[in-house]
Amino acid sequence: MTPTAGLGFKPIFIDEAIAAPAAGLWFEIHPENYMVDGGPRLAMLRALREARPLSFHGVGLSLAGAAEPDRAHLARLKRLVDEYRPMLVSEHLAWSREGTTCFPDLLPFPRTLEALLRIARNIDIVQNALGRQILIENPSLYVQLDGHDFAETDFLRQLVRKTGCRLLVDVNNVAVSANNLGFDPYRYLDALPADAIGEIHLAGHRPDPEHGDALLIDSHDAPVSEQVWALYDDLLDRIGPVPTLIERDGNLPPFAELMEERERAAALMRTPRKQVRYA
Amino acid sequence: MPDLATFQLAFASAMGGSRTRGTLEGQPGFAVYRNTTPVALAETLRANYPVVAELIGDALFAETAFEYARHHPANDPVLLGYGPAFPAFLAEQEWIADLPYLPDVAAIERLRTEAHMAADAPALDFADLARLGTEHWQNLRLRPHPAARIAWLSTPALTIWRAHHETPDFETLAPDWRAEGVLVSRPAGVLQVLELNAPAHRLICGLRLGETAGQASAATASTYPESDIASAFATLVNAGALARPQSLERN
Repeated sequence: MTPTAGLGFKPIFIDEAIAAPAAGLWFEIHPENYMVDGGPRLAMLRALREARPLSFHGVGLSLAGAAEPDRAHLARLKRLVDEYRPMLVSEHLAWSREGTTCFPDLLPFPRTLEALLRIARNIDIVQNALGRQILIENPSLYVQLDGHDFAETDFLRQLVRKTGCRLLVDVNNVAVSANNLGFDPYRYLDALPADAIGEIHLAGHRPDPEHGDALLIDSHDAPVSEQVWALYDDLLDRIGPVPTLIERDGNLPPFAELMEERERAAALMRTPRKQVRYA
Repeated sequence: MPDLATFQLAFASAMGGSRTRGTLEGQPGFAVYRNTTPVALAETLRANYPVVAELIGDALFAETAFEYARHHPANDPVLLGYGPAFPAFLAEQEWIADLPYLPDVAAIERLRTEAHMAADAPALDFADLARLGTEHWQNLRLRPHPAARIAWLSTPALTIWRAHHETPDFETLAPDWRAEGVLVSRPAGVLQVLELNAPAHRLICGLRLGETAGQASAATASTYPESDIASAFATLVNAGALARPQSLERN
């Protein structure tokens, strides 16, 4: 089976997920939600894995932290990766640990040369431990930080060059950050190294309740916006079809509705592109 | 530009603070970072303690959960087991005098969380026992199953928990004020919560401490002369609360 468009997996949809007949369907999970010793969660993951390819999208490695990735956490990830053999393993260009405190969040940092070297080292540690390539996802950003030495796209390009990792492009994150920080999302996507993009995320966002459209929140609780669909279509013009995920974490609609959104992505992936611009 | 470690430390401390000036904290978007962690931790507590949340209502639960999150930051990116100290934290709240059973209800929910995440292992079943003569099983050292959790609660928290968890009509609930034993286990992979009477509780506690089946049965019979040891034992086996000893592994 060639993976086409996938869905972020939610346990309440387990029966429908296993029964879904769509060609090329796959599911993405957060491995942190399955780091248990045993029991029904792992039994569910096993059943899902028997039915469909999986992608592991980690949230806990804190790759953009000054410290090296937590070895115990990495060992748990490796056990899951070895047992469930996901087709893709990804993490975020963000940090989430400071000392012994873990933040269930994806936090920003100044893109300095020092940060580049530390993050490249952290990605090396992870890829060596897992014995496979990982993909790095661009973050949603909410504040302007001082002291960047690199544009985010250059920073990602450098990480690809230094570590041999690939990129997970979250088009909604691009739209959200572009809105919040004031840059052109099309130019951002154009600046990414096309041949390094191994996965795409599409999700919904919402305006901040207090600040409105000036501050968009990457909330994953709404359908993918038309602006993000347009950016996605444009990105596919340039790079051709790449496994694409619909992420939805809140305000969950019926499974069938998520599958319709997923089918829209699959249809765009099938659309013949006249001018696939490689570079 | 400060180095990455210094930046992180300052950012983390700004998230925990209330300053709203400064080039970082003054930006509207900084509130997104400031709110995400406490909201995520409070939501995890709500998922792990749903009956406590129902008993005290959304507003008080949210306030208490934020306070807990402030005192107990996560130290693991895996949040599934977050909040082990929440029952004890509830017991320290000023308003707890009106709800003396609440920490025990929370304790039951914590046992369920632990049982849910525990390792898999074969459970002792009646076929195992049938293959053993009485003499042999008397000498067996049985251990609780990795997913079995037991507690002896001084309030009727199990009755209260069950009324909320299983039947939404709890207005008429008037439990006898008595201590209750609780057994949480995972027979055939499905989480189950049972009331454990005193003899069955004594029996599994003895086994957990390393008594043989014979010793635990004799001690239980001597403490509770009226008790039916066979029935207490059957309760534990039916609940999948005992692990199958390696000596009984079937090929």
